[in-house]
Amino acid sequence: MSTKNIDDIIALSEELRWEIGDDFHDNLAESIYSDASKIVEDAVTKDNNKSKFRLDAKIDKIVTSRIWGFPIMLFILGAVLWLTIIGANYPSSMLAILLLDTIQPMLKSFGANIGFPWWLSGFLFDGVYLAVAWVIAVMLPPMAIFFPLFTLLEDFGYLPRVAFNMDNLFKKSGAHGKQALTMSMGFGCNAAGVVATRIIDSPRERLIAIITNNFSLCNGRWPTQILLATIFIGAVVPASYSSLASLTAVISIAVLGIAFMFFFSWALSKTVLKGEVSTFNLELPPYRPPVFWKTIYTSLIDRTLIVLWRAIVFAAPAGAVIWLISNIYLGDESIASWLIGSFDGFGFLIGLNGVILLAYIVAIPANEIVIPTILMLTVMVTGVAGGVGDGVMFELDSVSATADILRSGGWTLLTAVNVMLFSLLHNPCSTTIYTIYKETNSVKWTVVASILPVIAGFIVTFLVAQIWRIFV
Amino acid sequence: MNYNPITALAIFFGICLLLYFAFRPKKGIYFLLKSMYKQKDKVIIEDILKFLYHNQLSNNSITTIGLTNSLNFSNSLIIESLKKMMDNELIVLEKDSYKLTPNGNEYAFQIIRAHRLWEKYLSEKTGFHKEEWHERAEDKEHELSESEINKLSDLLGNPRFDPHGDPIPTSKGKMKSKRGVSLSSLKENDIGQIIHIEDEPDIIYKQILAENIHLYSTIRVIENNHTRVVFHSEGEQFVLAPIVAGNITISVSEKNETLEENIARLSSLKIDEQAKIVGLSKECRGESRRRLLDLGFVKGATVAIDLLNPLGDPKAYYIKGTAIALRKDQASKILINRIE
Repeated sequence: MSTKNIDDIIALSEELRWEIGDDFHDNLAESIYSDASKIVEDAVTKDNNKSKFRLDAKIDKIVTSRIWGFPIMLFILGAVLWLTIIGANYPSSMLAILLLDTIQPMLKSFGANIGFPWWLSGFLFDGVYLAVAWVIAVMLPPMAIFFPLFTLLEDFGYLPRVAFNMDNLFKKSGAHGKQALTMSMGFGCNAAGVVATRIIDSPRERLIAIITNNFSLCNGRWPTQILLATIFIGAVVPASYSSLASLTAVISIAVLGIAFMFFFSWALSKTVLKGEVSTFNLELPPYRPPVFWKTIYTSLIDRTLIVLWRAIVFAAPAGAVIWLISNIYLGDESIASWLIGSFDGFGFLIGLNGVILLAYIVAIPANEIVIPTILMLTVMVTGVAGGVGDGVMFELDSVSATADILRSGGWTLLTAVNVMLFSLLHNPCSTTIYTIYKETNSVKWTVVASILPVIAGFIVTFLVAQIWRIFV
Repeated sequence: MNYNPITALAIFFGICLLLYFAFRPKKGIYFLLKSMYKQKDKVIIEDILKFLYHNQLSNNSITTIGLTNSLNFSNSLIIESLKKMMDNELIVLEKDSYKLTPNGNEYAFQIIRAHRLWEKYLSEKTGFHKEEWHERAEDKEHELSESEINKLSDLLGNPRFDPHGDPIPTSKGKMKSKRGVSLSSLKENDIGQIIHIEDEPDIIYKQILAENIHLYSTIRVIENNHTRVVFHSEGEQFVLAPIVAGNITISVSEKNETLEENIARLSSLKIDEQAKIVGLSKECRGESRRRLLDLGFVKGATVAIDLLNPLGDPKAYYIKGTAIALRKDQASKILINRIE
C-alpha cells in the first residue's frame, strides 16, 4: 500500500473517532466483561441452593449489628492483646534466663579461656550477642502468640467484617476500613503491620496506612510503658489504686496513638497524598473453619520468623555500636558520655535528658533494648552502683531497684510521662523503616514515615514540658 | 538548667506562626514568591490567546479595556504582551478590537489541548478531586511542551473529550464544535443527555458538584421557570437555580426514550429488593471503574443488598456469589434497573 493510502486511512479514522464518541473504549471493555460473564453463566453449573449458608448470614447479622458489632470487636481485640502480653511473660523470662543469664556468661568464660583480649569478648559477647539475645527474648514470644491468633481470625473471615464495621470512621479521615486491621496488627509489630497493608489495594489509602502504622504501640514498646507507668504513675496515687492508675496510663497512651493515627491519616489525605489514586472495595468472603495447624505453621514462618530475622540483622550492629560508644574514649571521656553531654540541653528542653535521646538513637534497630540501654548509660554517667560494666545492657528483676537507678539519673514524673509519650511518638524501628522501603519502594515515603512521628514526638513532649514547668 | 518556659513557648509559637504565613495554602509567602517567579510573559500571552479564542467563539469583540478588566495581570504587563503578540503576528487589531491570526488560533488550540488533556489525565490517573482539576490544569497548560502534550495524549489513548465533556483539539488542530443546548432553555418533558458541565466560574461549578449530577446521564425536565429548573435523572430528582442550570449543556433526543426512566442508582436500592445492573456512570473513572468491572459490576448482573452497616456506610452488595462492600458515592455511580 502506498503511503498516501495509509495517510488517507489515518485521516479517515481520525475523523470517525469524533463520531463514535468518547465512550467507545468503555463500551468495548464493558461488553467484553459482560460477554465473559455470560459465557461463565452458560458453561459453569452452580449449586444455587448452597450459594449462601444460612449460618453465614446469621453470623454476619450479629457481628455487624448496631448493638453487638462494636462490643464484640473491642472484646476480641482486648482478649488478643491480653493473651499476648500476659502469655508472653513466661516464655520471655525463660528465654531471658537461658540466653542472657546462662549462655552469655558461658560465652564470656569461653572467651576468657581461649585467651580473647577483653575488647574482643566485650565487643562480641557484651555488644553484638547481648543485643541479639535481648531482641529474641523480648520479641519472639509475643509475636509467636499474637500473629497466630490474628491469622486465625483472618482465616475464619472475621477481620473483613471488622473493616466493614469500621470503614465509616476511617473514611472520615480519608483512610480505608481495612486500616483498622493493619493498625491492630501494628499493636503486635509495626513491621508486620506495614506488610499487612498489602490487603489495602487502593494506592492512596495504602500509603496512609503504611505511614501511620507506627502510631500503633507495638510489642516492643508495651513493656516500656508498663514499667514506667508502674514506677512513676502508680506512685502518684495511693497504693491501693496504683495498679489501676498505671493501667489507665498505658491504655491512654495507646488510645492517644490511635488519635494521632486518625489525625495524621486525615492530614496526609488532605495534603501530600491527595493526588494518589483512591479506589475503595471490600470483599466479605464466606466464613470457613480455619485450618488450625496449617495457620499456626504459616503464620510462624511467614510473619514471626521473617520479622524476627530482620530484627536480629539490625540488632547485631546496634549492640556493637552500643558497646563501642561506651568503650571508645576521646580524651578522658567515652563517646557515649560526650554525646550525652551534648544532647542534655535539648533533652532537658523537651522534658527528657541526654541519656534518653542517645538511647533512642542507638536503639533505633529495636525498641526492646531502649530500657536496658537507658539503664546502662545512666549507671555509666552517674556512677551509681548497678550494672555489669560499660556498654553492657542490663535490666533488673526488681522494679524498685530500676526505679532507684532512674531517679538517680535525675528522672522525675515529668521525665517518665514524656518518655512514655516519646516512646509512642518517635521514628519507627529500623526493621519497620526497612519494611516500609520494601513495601513502598520509595525513599520519599520512607523518609516521611520515619520523620513525621519524631517531629510529632518533639512537639508534644516540648509542649508538655513547658506547660508542666509553668504550672507544677 | 535555668530558662523561662514561657519564653520557650513564645518562641515556639512564633516559629509556628512564621511557618504558617510562609506555607499556608495559596496565600503563603512561599507560594506567592513561586508564582511571582513563574509569572512570565509566556503565561500572560497564552492567557490572552485563550481569552480571545473563547470570546471569538461567542462572537464578542474584545478591546484593550476588556482585556485589562478580565485578566488578572497588571495593565502594563498586558499592554506590553499585546505589543509583542502583534509583532509576532499572533493577533491583529481591527477597529479597536483584537482578532486572532491563523497563527494565534493554532497557538490557542495548543493551549486548550494541553489544558483539556491534563484535566483528562488528572481524572483518569490521579486521585485529585474534581474541584481541583481546572485550577491545576490552568497552571500545567503553560508548562507542557508540544512533545509532552503528544506523549500525554498517547498515554491516555488519544481521548476526544475532557472530563467535563469538552472536545479536545487533535495535534493537527482539529476540534469538533460543541453541539447541544443549555439546560435552562429546555421545556417541560424534554428528554436529553448531559454532554457538558462547565467548570467556570468556580462557585457555580461547586454547586453542580454538590448536587451529584453525573455527566452523560439521561435527564427529563419536570419543571422550568424563572425560579427553578427541576429534572429527573437516574431515578433521582434535582432542583437547580436557572443560572446554575445554564452551565449544563444537554443534547436533546428526539425519540421518546421511556426506557431510561426506569434507571436508578444502586445507592437507592433497598434491602430485600433485587436489581439488574444497566452499566457504570461515566463519572466512575480510571482505576475505580476497572476495579468495579473486575468485581463483577457489569451489565446484566443481578445485585441485591447483603448487609447493612452499623454506621450506615458502606453497604455490602451481593453480586455473582460474593458480598462486596461499596461506599455510597461508589454505589451512586452504578446504574440499575429494579426487578419487580
